[in-house]
Amino acid sequence: MSFPGGGLRPPSEAGAGPGVAIGVRAIPGPAARAFRLDPLVRREWRTVVGFLGPGVLFFVVLVAVPTVSTVLLSFYRLESLISTPRWVGLANYAAVLGEPRFWNALLNGIVYGAASVVLQVALGLPIALLLNLRFRGQALVRGTALVPYVIPTVVVVFIWKWMLDENIGIVNHALKLAGGTPVSWFSAPAIAMASTVLVGVWAWTPFVTITFLAALQTVNEELYEAARVDGATAGQRLRYVILPAVRPVLVIIVLLRAIWMFNKFDVIWMLTQGGPLQATEHLPVLAYRMAFGLYDVGGGAAVATINFLLLLAVVAVYFRLVRVDET
Amino acid sequence: MRRLRPWQQAAVYAGATLVVVVTLFPLYYMLVSSVREPRALFARPSLLPLPFTTEQYAQLFSLTNFPVYFRNSLLVAVATALLTSAVGCPMAYAIVRYRVWGAEMLIRLMLVAYMVPALLLAIPLFTLMVRLGLDDTLTSLVIAHLTITLPLAVWLMYGFFRTVPPSVEEAALVEGASRAQAFWHVAVPMAFPGVLTVTIFSFILSWTDYVYALVLTSSDGKKVVSLGLAAMYGAYDLRWGELMAGSAVISIPMLVLFSLVTRHFIRGLTMGAVRG
Repeated sequence: MSFPGGGLRPPSEAGAGPGVAIGVRAIPGPAARAFRLDPLVRREWRTVVGFLGPGVLFFVVLVAVPTVSTVLLSFYRLESLISTPRWVGLANYAAVLGEPRFWNALLNGIVYGAASVVLQVALGLPIALLLNLRFRGQALVRGTALVPYVIPTVVVVFIWKWMLDENIGIVNHALKLAGGTPVSWFSAPAIAMASTVLVGVWAWTPFVTITFLAALQTVNEELYEAARVDGATAGQRLRYVILPAVRPVLVIIVLLRAIWMFNKFDVIWMLTQGGPLQATEHLPVLAYRMAFGLYDVGGGAAVATINFLLLLAVVAVYFRLVRVDET
Repeated sequence: MRRLRPWQQAAVYAGATLVVVVTLFPLYYMLVSSVREPRALFARPSLLPLPFTTEQYAQLFSLTNFPVYFRNSLLVAVATALLTSAVGCPMAYAIVRYRVWGAEMLIRLMLVAYMVPALLLAIPLFTLMVRLGLDDTLTSLVIAHLTITLPLAVWLMYGFFRTVPPSVEEAALVEGASRAQAFWHVAVPMAFPGVLTVTIFSFILSWTDYVYALVLTSSDGKKVVSLGLAAMYGAYDLRWGELMAGSAVISIPMLVLFSLVTRHFIRGLTMGAVRG
């Protein structure tokens, strides 16, 4: 398929892109500035309120308040989302942390997240390096490589469930033709985890490829050429010129992928519902099950809160590494 | 860049071909499976769309509730996309043009909000919707989707408005235009690629959402395509032909829309602004 506008063009070629640069440095805290109104803001305060107000209000009501209320809910006992809550302090946390199922879910999440990130990056980098070379049809291949990223998750899940069907799936069919034995992709506990990781790899490696490709465009061409003229081999150029130049972006890609894969709910839920025998159940699936299936909203909220705290730790690292202001 | 030697060229083409095949094969197989006769489909996997039939597509639209799901998705996604731009653009503009106290913090919060897992918000949002009497409505879905799309919109538009030089707007202000007029007649047209990208992204995000639909809607008449398709899997097991037909019908609009904004989409990815 071809995209109008010359296929995929990396941001560096697009001139002055939106002004958020990815770079590495610590950011001074926002509290450093004293509270005082800018004269322009004072003069046009009606416009400021009118422009910012609806959005800020929306955020407070629908993002901040729900987040806080999930945390608060985790201190209450309630059987359904509409029953009257009863304060139980840290009892939900004690119960959750004493539950082997929680530790199983935490471990599964780490395994799933780590395996996904490692594979997506290990495949995404070479593909990006490949697509960074000049060859005929390059724009077309770049466009194609990003396609899985916009396929609705539900479709990704069904296509793979169909292809990996134990009895009539094309993958097992091919295995049989090749003389192998059919595999129970989603019903054997050990294999189910690997299958869910692989489906994610197909869907989200494109994100790594394209982000990394964009970063590659910023590598100093002269430096690269100089290394080549000086007799550096392709391997040395990769190691001493390319990788150091794109390392900041690499760190960010790994962090972002880790954050998103660790919290991925829909893929696992639709593929396996956390099964078989909780082999693919991670924290988001456990939280959903407790809150909506097992009538333990407080417990589900406690799991969601723990999950959120783990996430915040990674986000904090992200903000230490990424600046969001000037280029 | 130096010209590659023939064997290197061959290796590059082989690699590129492999990428394309692995990427497109599942989609190809989806299309093939959607047009094969059911009896053949379940007898033996095949790479060819034979024996050919469009029966599955006909069934999808006549025997299932798919048209309703499709209409619901369309309503929700259009409303989400329009509201996102209407609220997000002025907000981003104000953050760029005015030195408001806490603006940088607001921008960071957007990014955090963007990384917050949907499931964390889903529990209290469900409670809130029940209290407001909005549970199991399309409105509740639009509201919930805004929690994903609005941070994205503000974050992206923040970048786009920064590339619009203030001088043109100042000229308009000197001529006697109000700030709102300058925003609407000068800044928005100049950042139009951004506005378009944000609108289309929001549409795609809303269209592909499954988590909020799962939590917030329950009756069949209120299902969107993602949930409807998932429900069909449970209801008529083994109806793979219809499922693949449905998958094709809901994926193709995304591919078309996406092709319109690929370039800006990639900018967005580079900024770390797009949820994965």
